[in-house]
Amino acid sequence: MTAFGASLRYEFRMQVRKRSVWIVPALTLVLFVLIGGSLLRDLFDPGERPLDPRTGVVGLAVQLHALLAIGFGCLLADRLVRDDRLGVAPILDATPASPAARLLGKYLGAAAATAVPIALAYFGFAAAYAIDIGQPVAMAWALAAFAVVIVPGLLLVAAFALAVPMIMPAPLFRVLFVGYWLWGNIVSPEMMPTLARTLFHPLGGYPLDVLFDFHGIDGEDTWAGPVAGATLNVLRPDPTPALALLSIVLLLIVSAAALAGGHVLRARRIR
Amino acid sequence: MRIEISGLTKTYRGGVHAIDGLDLDIPTGMFGLLGANGAGKTTLMRILAGIVRPSAGRVVVGGHDIASGPGRTAVQRELGYLPQDLGVYPDLTARQFLDYVALLKGMDDRSARRRRVGELLEVVALTEYADRRLRGFSGGMRQRVGIAQALLADPRLLIVDEPTAGLDPEERIRFRTLLSQFAGRRTVLLSTHIVDDIGQTCREAAVLAKGRMIFRGTVEELTRRARGRVWEVVTDGPAPAEGTVVSALPHDDGMRYRVVARTAPSAQARPLDPSLEDGYLAVTADQAAAGREPASR
Amino acid sequence: MRPITLWRYEARRTGWAAVLGPPLAVALGIAAALAYPEPSDTTTARILLGGLEMAVPLAAAVVCSTLIGQDPAREVQLTVPTPYRITLLRRMIVVLSWTAAVAVLAAAVLIVTGWWARWPQNHGAFAGQLTWLAPMLGLSGLGFAAGAVLRSPAAAGAIVTTVWAIQQFFADAVQEHLPGRLLYLFATTRGAATDDWLANRLVLVGAGAVLVALALILLGRPERLISEEDE
Ligand SMILES: Nc1ncnc2c1ncn2[C@@H]1O[C@H](COP(=O)(O)OP(=O)(O)OP(=O)(O)O)[C@@H](O)[C@H]1O
Ligand SMILES: [Mg+2]
Repeated sequence: MTAFGASLRYEFRMQVRKRSVWIVPALTLVLFVLIGGSLLRDLFDPGERPLDPRTGVVGLAVQLHALLAIGFGCLLADRLVRDDRLGVAPILDATPASPAARLLGKYLGAAAATAVPIALAYFGFAAAYAIDIGQPVAMAWALAAFAVVIVPGLLLVAAFALAVPMIMPAPLFRVLFVGYWLWGNIVSPEMMPTLARTLFHPLGGYPLDVLFDFHGIDGEDTWAGPVAGATLNVLRPDPTPALALLSIVLLLIVSAAALAGGHVLRARRIR
Repeated sequence: MRIEISGLTKTYRGGVHAIDGLDLDIPTGMFGLLGANGAGKTTLMRILAGIVRPSAGRVVVGGHDIASGPGRTAVQRELGYLPQDLGVYPDLTARQFLDYVALLKGMDDRSARRRRVGELLEVVALTEYADRRLRGFSGGMRQRVGIAQALLADPRLLIVDEPTAGLDPEERIRFRTLLSQFAGRRTVLLSTHIVDDIGQTCREAAVLAKGRMIFRGTVEELTRRARGRVWEVVTDGPAPAEGTVVSALPHDDGMRYRVVARTAPSAQARPLDPSLEDGYLAVTADQAAAGREPASR
Repeated sequence: MRPITLWRYEARRTGWAAVLGPPLAVALGIAAALAYPEPSDTTTARILLGGLEMAVPLAAAVVCSTLIGQDPAREVQLTVPTPYRITLLRRMIVVLSWTAAVAVLAAAVLIVTGWWARWPQNHGAFAGQLTWLAPMLGLSGLGFAAGAVLRSPAAAGAIVTTVWAIQQFFADAVQEHLPGRLLYLFATTRGAATDDWLANRLVLVGAGAVLVALALILLGRPERLISEEDE
């Protein structure tokens, strides 16, 4: 427990102090605002914004999550291999602290630190929007969307970002990760076989559909359930609350499996 | 190659004065640099090597002002540098690493380069391991690769930052002999915490403390600084409170202490002949005492 | 011209990601084309060219973003007469040359098999090579410059992948205005205005060159490279 706590605390501190953890999301947001067409601007435009505050903040969650998770994953990709590179690993490995507890602490600490700017950006925009439209309830929806949609997605990304660079160079992971993110989240299922909008969807199609009744910003999109003419529809049953929950649990299980894999690989390397 | 340093100051970000108004002339030959941890030795050497820019002051190496780009490059053509924390490419063998650095030093002729690399591997006694990857090298072996790397282009200025750290006693002695032989008409700047190494190789040395020079002179002068200040105290009671304890050896009638102190630490204290290390300790103790008395600043 | 041996050493420094990235990117493009459920020749051709325009430059750029920082021997590198920024530039040239070799080979196969011509906006076999060359240079320049500014491969890689992804997610919004269209990376396969294509390609090449030049100016200060790395 103390090993977990110490590792959590210091990994958080080291990561949250890094300039790049702040610069990368900040630049992303600047670009995002510059190009227009996103909710970052439209939420404050009475002619463009969705009528329902829930759709507004949930749509914002989807857009920010889809984009900021990429920088999030890339920034975390060196955290586990870093200890070896900097020569800290032998010191830590020589302590009686359980390696599993340390890894878990590192995982949650570094991920939480890297998510701080994302959370600030999301709640910042959501609050500005809630004030702008005079509907405080938007903040409640924002909290719910963050917990149910963004957090499980980021936990998945963080687990792979820590574990995968154990078996391939970190740059290669970054390339494959962004490719996966596009393919497994955004690509439309009619176009090619994809995990997008299945039960395993890091952007959270099922919870979005069932728990937030979200069907795209203009209300015309399907985020869960079978897609006519698409492959892999087995993985797209009709949405129910139980399936929404299952889809979240699935993300968490896969994260845990990735992390466990990383742990095994590290343990093997030490021996 | 003569090095002339005047008014040199280096302030790192965060306000650390690593070098603080240093004036120092380093003549041809071997020159030793001593000082406590954090005294500014590495910073000074990095400035001379052109890696760190001074905040103020002037540094002229062999007639080239290192403030200018061409001046720095001119110095680097004549320079061999062994950093304190040497990093190597783990996937290269010792021979390949040296070959690579030789190329970076502009030794484009293949056969000359090969010959030189072979010679230096011989010099640092690594011929046997030359074709193993550096990943598997022990700390001392890696250090020897670093030494070889610094000597590659037959530099006229050799800057070595704690070169003997991690070397076994034989290698250390071999290396310092090599250094003094190498010095000849060249300039070798050696920083180390092994005071004895300076005594065995250098005619002159400087001692830094907190970025300032607190001693500059010959090795004999440094030793003389402790004359009349080195004592042996044999006691079964507590250690002497005055001065710096240099050594403590268990003895039949208690402990035998070697102490550097301005006055005899006890009535039974017996004066001893000073060593270079005693001289260094005397100089730093004086500096610390001066620092404690506000009136002296 | 320095000996070829020196280039060989620099090639080794670029690492496995540099070697594997570009062929892997081509393979992924082909896999995506094969996975398309109802193949029409045009769309298959578009995905094949898309692999060259999207995946190949991304692989090169992410590797270029890792060139600066984490060099174990940088203290030696900074004290040799060969300027370290020239060494870094050599490594970048190695990465880009290898990527170009892979891309040219893939393009040649597409041209010979006729797939190249099946995408209407292919711009021919010769100028058409700008399909991958321009985004590769533009994005790699960005990666290299981000590395020089941030001295953190993780951060520089994050910026490259984010810029790439934003242009994928918001292809229409990005291309609504002329500056966005000129800087759009995927103008061959997702371009909004065919007329702007050549201008777009040249602007990307120019932007890459400018970014590399800026990075080289920054790298002229050795102190930036020796300390304060954003670990
Ligand atoms: N990159 C840096 N940034 C900030 N401060 C630094 C940096 N490098 C050194 N310092 C500070 O400058 C001072 C001098 O450091 P330097 O490394 O030159 O000492 P040194 O004499 O080589 O010490 P040692 O014997 O331990 O090697 C120290 O106080 C150190 O904390
Ligand atoms: Mg030092």
